[in-house]
Amino acid sequence: MKPYLQYLVILLDDTSVAYCHANNPLTERNLMPIETLKKAILFGMKQNLMIQYVYPDYELPAEYSEVIESIDHIKIGKDVQVLNEVPKAVTTDNLVLRLTIANFIAHQYDIAALLPQVKRLNICLTDIESFADAQQEDYKKALATLNAVLVNLYKSQQQPQVNILTDRLTLTEMHNCEAGIGNITVAPNGKFYLCPAFYYDEKMGISNRMNHKTKDASRSIGDLDNGLDIPNKQLLQLDHAPLCRICDAYHCNRCIWQNDRLTWDANTPSHQQCVIAHLERNAARDLQQQLKVAGFQTGEDIKEITYLDPFDVKETW
Amino acid sequence: MEPLSQTWKEGLAENITFIVTKDCQLACKYCYLVGKNEKERMSWEVAKAAIDFVLEHEYDPIFAQESVIWDFIGGEPFLEIDLIDQICDYIKSELFRRNHHWFNSYRFNFSTNGINYDTKKVQDFIKKNKSHLSVGITIDGTKRKHDLNRVYKGSEKGSYDDVVRNIPLWLSQFPNESTKVTISSADIPYICESVLHLFELGIHAVHINCVFENVWKEGDDSLFEKQLMKLADEIISKNLYNESECSFFTEFLGKPLLCTEQNQNWCGAGKMLSIDAAGNFYPCTRFAQYSLRDKEAWIIGNIHEGIDNNKLRPFLTLDRCTQSNPECVDCEVAEGCAWCQGENYDAAKTHTVFQRATAICKMHKARVRANNYYWNKLYRKLEMEGKREEFEKSHPNVKPEIC
Repeated sequence: MKPYLQYLVILLDDTSVAYCHANNPLTERNLMPIETLKKAILFGMKQNLMIQYVYPDYELPAEYSEVIESIDHIKIGKDVQVLNEVPKAVTTDNLVLRLTIANFIAHQYDIAALLPQVKRLNICLTDIESFADAQQEDYKKALATLNAVLVNLYKSQQQPQVNILTDRLTLTEMHNCEAGIGNITVAPNGKFYLCPAFYYDEKMGISNRMNHKTKDASRSIGDLDNGLDIPNKQLLQLDHAPLCRICDAYHCNRCIWQNDRLTWDANTPSHQQCVIAHLERNAARDLQQQLKVAGFQTGEDIKEITYLDPFDVKETW
Repeated sequence: MEPLSQTWKEGLAENITFIVTKDCQLACKYCYLVGKNEKERMSWEVAKAAIDFVLEHEYDPIFAQESVIWDFIGGEPFLEIDLIDQICDYIKSELFRRNHHWFNSYRFNFSTNGINYDTKKVQDFIKKNKSHLSVGITIDGTKRKHDLNRVYKGSEKGSYDDVVRNIPLWLSQFPNESTKVTISSADIPYICESVLHLFELGIHAVHINCVFENVWKEGDDSLFEKQLMKLADEIISKNLYNESECSFFTEFLGKPLLCTEQNQNWCGAGKMLSIDAAGNFYPCTRFAQYSLRDKEAWIIGNIHEGIDNNKLRPFLTLDRCTQSNPECVDCEVAEGCAWCQGENYDAAKTHTVFQRATAICKMHKARVRANNYYWNKLYRKLEMEGKREEFEKSHPNVKPEIC
């Protein structure tokens, strides 16, 4: 099915928790005014969007509770726990771990130890731009470490999900972040952004992908009073992404913000993004092979491929 | 050295452009270089470092082509003839010293306004490098057409007289060279007379195109079509088609295109490398800041840090249909409709090279109509004269080069 707008991410405060690739550089509290929050909820209701509140680390004023609870929603930072370090133990089913690549590799055994404790673990790498080809083997080994635990858990009738390994097993087409297509973000200022990272950039005065600071650093795509206005929206869609539309690393985030920073074109992933996604894709293939031997049904076979970056084989498309 | 025809691997060449200066004697009214200035002149140190970088990366995919075109552009490149001479000497000696695969498989290419073409320094350079040299002089046509736009900096004085006096010398040295003519809105009434004038000057190949910028006025397409039909009549009635060609008329024009089979990008940006005075690298000169009205320069690296390949990925994955709007994809006369990637970027609503500018649409459609008229009329005449077969043998269909 073609992606369509389904989710509205509401940043309740400038210091709301970062839950994806981009770190939140904003340190001063700036709570969304309650009237803006009401408008955002109304927008979500009229557009039939699922609300995802993103919480700061402080208690909101009491009057916000009734407004927040006035509609179905998910609470990121509460229902979904987001951590920037690997804990020894967790008390939630649904955990987001935001880690640098080096930390992911260094803490692979600690992460593996968490798998029996969760139903879903989302790993978000926060520095993919720094991923060097020399790190490939270490990253592969770390993924293999998680695979080994996953296979044993499957055999003992536990089936935790790990976004970068198990998602690919069940996907038959691209299922990416879909910022601007499947979801949009509304910030405390009442403006829309493709995702929180673009709001952070605007607040930090980073006007565009070239990271030059200018007077007009607007990254918004409309506001609650005037509605959405996404220029070149087609370039956010898979069929307008030449590298991605032929790719089968279906679980890849296709992070528009990373594309914007690293290749300067929203529809074009970086070498780093592609290589990481393909290492994960190949690890998912290994996991699939092991699960099949153990007697599990694991969806369509993931084919063996010889490249890690579709760009390197573009002459064969 | 072997003559050019034996050493030159046509169509397999890497293009490396030195923006040696952003200065020019002229201030052409249609010039897309909005940031020309007298300050940004390339130093020898930057030029040498750029050459060293390119030659040291002989086996990188971007430099793996069999041959190379070393292109010199400005502003007006011959303003920096001393530097150019030094650059070319160094390239030749380094290609030899390094036993580089481009040794004897290179060309130095110039597009000049022709004003100082006859100076001793330029002529000495030409004599020294003749067997590996292409020089194109840009002359826009008749005096009134040329002087309408191509005026001296700081004055309204036209440059025609200073250019045309060098045409005989140029053609004696490069008899098969072509000239480039640029058409903007104000030039339309003079197209026919200008092309005929260039033929009369002895220039037998006239590469002519409409500017890609959004300069066109209501009714320009109709005037343009009439001028091209007038030109068609003149070329055919005077039998000029045997010896001369004007790029407005081509048989590769005006048919629908399929995204499945005819999806290649028009432009070569990203497969080329341009270097400016600061030592910055660009996917094409059109992405340097002096070429851009509204956007920031698209710098893909520099002589110190090399090329950031991530910044080239959008260019190297571009295709026709992804960057085209649905009207262009479905256009029944899409074939031959050109675009400039730099103008696309500059005019785009967002920071992307994937949004095709369409300011030229009406002009392309007018050209297609006149082009159809030309070929129908010409072939009918040749049929009547029993010369069609002979003409087709002597004029093999060659697809126009991409930018």
